[in-house]
Amino acid sequence: MTGMEGLRDFWQRYRRNKGAIVGLAVLVLVLATALLGPTLFPGNPWDMAGAPFQKPFDPEFPLGTDTLGRDILMGIVHGARVSLLIGFVATFAAVSLGVILGSVAGYYGGLVDDLLMRFTEFFQTIPSFVFAIVLVAIFTPSIASIVAAIAIVSWPPVARLVRGEFLTLRTREFVQASVVLGRSSRHIIFVEILPNAVSPIIVAGSLMVATAILIESSLSFLGLGDPNMMSWGFMIGSARTVLRTAWWMSFFPGLAILLTVLALNLVGEGLNDALNPRLTREGR
Amino acid sequence: MPTKRFLTPLALAAMLVMMPDAPADAQQPQRGGTLSSIISPEPPTLMIGISQTTPTAIVAGKIYESLLRYSTDLKPMPGLAKSWEVSEDGRTYTFRLHENVKWHDGQPFTAEDVVFTATKYLIEVHPRSRPIMQRAESVTAPDRNTVVFRLKEPFAPFIMAWEPSTAPIVPKHIYDGTNYRNNPANQTPIGTGPFKLQEWVRGSHIHLVRNDEYWQPGKPYLDAIYYRVLPDAGARVVAMETGQTHLSAFADIETFEVPRLKAMPHLELTTKGYEYLAQMVWLDFNLRNPPMNDRRFRQAVYYAMDRDFIRDRIWFGLGKIATGPIHSSIPHYDANVPKYPLDLKKSEQLLDEMGLKRGTDGVRVRVTLDALPYGDIYKRLAEYTKQALARVGIEVTIRTSDVAGWGDRVRNWDYEMTHQVLSQLGHPALGVSRLYITSNIRKGVLFSNVNGYTNPRIDELFSKAAVAVEPAQIQAMYSEIQRILVEDVPVAWLLELEFPTFINKQFRNVVTSGIGVRDNFADVHMVRQ
Amino acid sequence: MQRLQFIAQRVVKGIVVLLGIIILNFLLIRMAPGDPASVMAGEAGAADEVFMSQLRKEFGLDRPLHEQLTIYIKNVVTLDLGFSYRQQRPVADLLLERVPATLLLTGTAFLLSLVVGVLLGILAASRVGQWSDSLVTVIALFFYATPIFWVGLMGILLFSVTLGWLPSFGMYTVGGKLTGAAFALDVLHHLILPAITLALFHMAVYARMTRASMLEMRDQDFVRTAHAKGLREGRIVRIHVLRNAILPVITMAGVKAGYLIGGSIVVETVFAWPGIGRLAFETVMQRDYNLLLGVFILTSFMVIAVNLITDVIYSFVDPRIELGQ
Repeated sequence: MTGMEGLRDFWQRYRRNKGAIVGLAVLVLVLATALLGPTLFPGNPWDMAGAPFQKPFDPEFPLGTDTLGRDILMGIVHGARVSLLIGFVATFAAVSLGVILGSVAGYYGGLVDDLLMRFTEFFQTIPSFVFAIVLVAIFTPSIASIVAAIAIVSWPPVARLVRGEFLTLRTREFVQASVVLGRSSRHIIFVEILPNAVSPIIVAGSLMVATAILIESSLSFLGLGDPNMMSWGFMIGSARTVLRTAWWMSFFPGLAILLTVLALNLVGEGLNDALNPRLTREGR
Repeated sequence: MPTKRFLTPLALAAMLVMMPDAPADAQQPQRGGTLSSIISPEPPTLMIGISQTTPTAIVAGKIYESLLRYSTDLKPMPGLAKSWEVSEDGRTYTFRLHENVKWHDGQPFTAEDVVFTATKYLIEVHPRSRPIMQRAESVTAPDRNTVVFRLKEPFAPFIMAWEPSTAPIVPKHIYDGTNYRNNPANQTPIGTGPFKLQEWVRGSHIHLVRNDEYWQPGKPYLDAIYYRVLPDAGARVVAMETGQTHLSAFADIETFEVPRLKAMPHLELTTKGYEYLAQMVWLDFNLRNPPMNDRRFRQAVYYAMDRDFIRDRIWFGLGKIATGPIHSSIPHYDANVPKYPLDLKKSEQLLDEMGLKRGTDGVRVRVTLDALPYGDIYKRLAEYTKQALARVGIEVTIRTSDVAGWGDRVRNWDYEMTHQVLSQLGHPALGVSRLYITSNIRKGVLFSNVNGYTNPRIDELFSKAAVAVEPAQIQAMYSEIQRILVEDVPVAWLLELEFPTFINKQFRNVVTSGIGVRDNFADVHMVRQ
Repeated sequence: MQRLQFIAQRVVKGIVVLLGIIILNFLLIRMAPGDPASVMAGEAGAADEVFMSQLRKEFGLDRPLHEQLTIYIKNVVTLDLGFSYRQQRPVADLLLERVPATLLLTGTAFLLSLVVGVLLGILAASRVGQWSDSLVTVIALFFYATPIFWVGLMGILLFSVTLGWLPSFGMYTVGGKLTGAAFALDVLHHLILPAITLALFHMAVYARMTRASMLEMRDQDFVRTAHAKGLREGRIVRIHVLRNAILPVITMAGVKAGYLIGGSIVVETVFAWPGIGRLAFETVMQRDYNLLLGVFILTSFMVIAVNLITDVIYSFVDPRIELGQ
């Protein structure tokens, strides 16, 4: 089957999931906001543009202003970029790490597998959010330390998933054939097996972006975000104490997180339906 | 209230307006009642000798006492000492102690306890008190109720060093000869104060009960005090609103909630009681690094900071714009100094003069600011500073860290700019000189002269002023100090902090002195309504 | 016999993992910049060298790292978790007095999420395609995607601020002088909002899982066999499907124990709940080494224990399991 056909086929199956279509639409909207937002809403989200505590639904500040008079809408638009950036980069790092460890463990098996799986289990046992807090606090909150911390606590499930796939795929004929042909292990791992294991990895990855965004927002909420980046979690965290007087400051950024994460989950499910029609539907 | 036979309608109206307060003032304070106060964060310990954090001072201030207390205009008032004299030469301080004072375990309190505290205990455990107590050549107890301090040289601020968190008096019979910091008795504090520790449920509350053997007859009026640990600012506001707690102080209530609480009929707001601490917040420059080592840069930054905005929008009006290194409630303050109003033009002019031209991106220079890790308000101050300096082409990168990380950077001089907030402790010689004199540039030590300011004239003036005796002469020296420093801008003084204390109107006499809610609450009483 | 061996094996593994966690965290925390002595000295209001070196010596901070580690592990083995220099009390005491609050919160949330989640999952799976199925799916999706702290804040806004039904902070009314049943009711009243907040996310997870795995089980051979044997639909669902469908949920419950503790940090912060989670966060900010390590050991221990328990339950529930592999 040709690439075009495959794509159409994929789309046919994806389309069947109505939620996934909605999710995709929302996600496209969020992505567009992240990419174009700063052009459509030029300016600095940190600017104290108006009087503090302005209520929403006002022509000048549709979503109101925060405790220092910053425009909430502006913060949400600019925050989209930060949240998605952290979500995708952290996921990429975690998936890369998981794929490498998982494929090595699954491919070689035996002692290597045993050791790597103990290592993975070890990281799975550490209470992940506590660990992330410690890492970020100790290494000073910044985009880099947050991404690193999220990646470090997120890779183990990927490693297990990839290992599982490799364990099954390793025994397949085409792999055995390559072994007989004397291909290098690296070639077999990355060229022969990995492409066949890519579907579940994509599904897991799309769901992990959602989780990463949630972790970042929780860290920022606790005051461990990058202080030079306007992120949604930061907006809620700094508005938490004024909840009673100014609900809008925490409501709107929370809604933004909810919609984005929801969209990512729906897309993940759609991908799951389209890519692994036979697999169960439990993310993660 | 004096009774009058005939009341004009006007007088009647005036009386009615006064009514809510009138009966209480006329009424004799009555025994009974329980005060529930907020405490945040939870104190690390109640042994006030080994921890001088504000929460410890607030709670332990009811348990431990010192020789003196201070009025809101910082005049000494009797504490454990009923009277005191200073000799002509300014070197001998004689304190006469109250009689029949007992420790919470029933042992008598005597002058020996004071001698032990001053000569052994404080010198070992109390970093702030040590240099003061070390000024004594001898400390003696001629009789059970008299203590005499003979100083090596005159030191007028000595009389300001006797409030409970600066010099708590501890029981000799419990601490002498033990490891002060590990003594198990630290968990069960024994003081002379009007309240005793009943129970401490960590993470929840501290329960103090009336000391029935208190040395002031009939006092305290309250039966008990609960300190509720409420780490969440939102929860603290609710607690005050609903009457679940009756007292909040310091930064318990976030500044933007103050107007709303102030309007509540059951709450009373005062900003008194912080005169002794006199906290000031400033922007600190590490003077070892360019461009901060250039006075013009510091002045440019100062001109670019809109301190009205800081006061009105960040502290919501709770504060006074600082004019220089000495807080206006502290002795020897002088308002007659150069001023730095918001002036962006002048700021840019100074930066231009330095040769810091705007690049194509509009940036003249990039600087890192370490945000003070003391909570949301300082985060907002850092965010404001970043925006304010951006207007004149200084790009600020904010760095946040936990308290340990921040402390490490600052004390090891590994920073460019940071905010600091510090108390002035009743006298420039106790709380101000430490920040500017050359001899206090000590790497690795926080709250010393960390930014490395050095000026021989300032050193000379501070050291002479501390030991001078003639008041006019002292004032002249402190005035000169203030003029020189404000000219030099070693740091940019931003705000004298005011704190809102909210008191439920059922309680009276809560804040009666310059040490405010850290005082012993012997006079606090409840009004039946 | 086989089962005992299986359990023993798991226990040994748990201990090894715990030891690894202690070492990792010890090194991580000690290697980080920031001297705790300066924090303590700072809190004392003024710092000088004498005072700081005094503190370092007292808390062993002046010894070489490996020596500190050896001493620490030796102490941990004897259940001595050290002394918190900030709080001036033994770490073990500080932790123990926070445990009940956290167990109450996480335990309630755990049971709530498991019971409600599984029930919702069964409901949805038995009515596939009907409106109740869709409703459960939408609710689960919604809470699966909502940041936990935001749920808490909105809950406070709705139930405490607007409606005034539930208290928004603390574990009980202090100074209420309540005892017995009245006290228990008071705690319950305070528990509702935080427990539900913490439970919602996990409830969503379990509902989704139960539904999915029940649907999958339906198509399996042994269910068809049962049908063929003529067992009634209800019985089939109850015994065969449910029993097998619940297995992955049990595994998931074990895996999620760590998340529950992570979530409790946020929830305890939002609701001023006096438990381990809040202590963990405060401790990080203050770099109170011994206490932070203590929190780590305790929370890791809890996760390991829960995993062990789920392993054991699994071994009883799964008829097919071959113990000892």
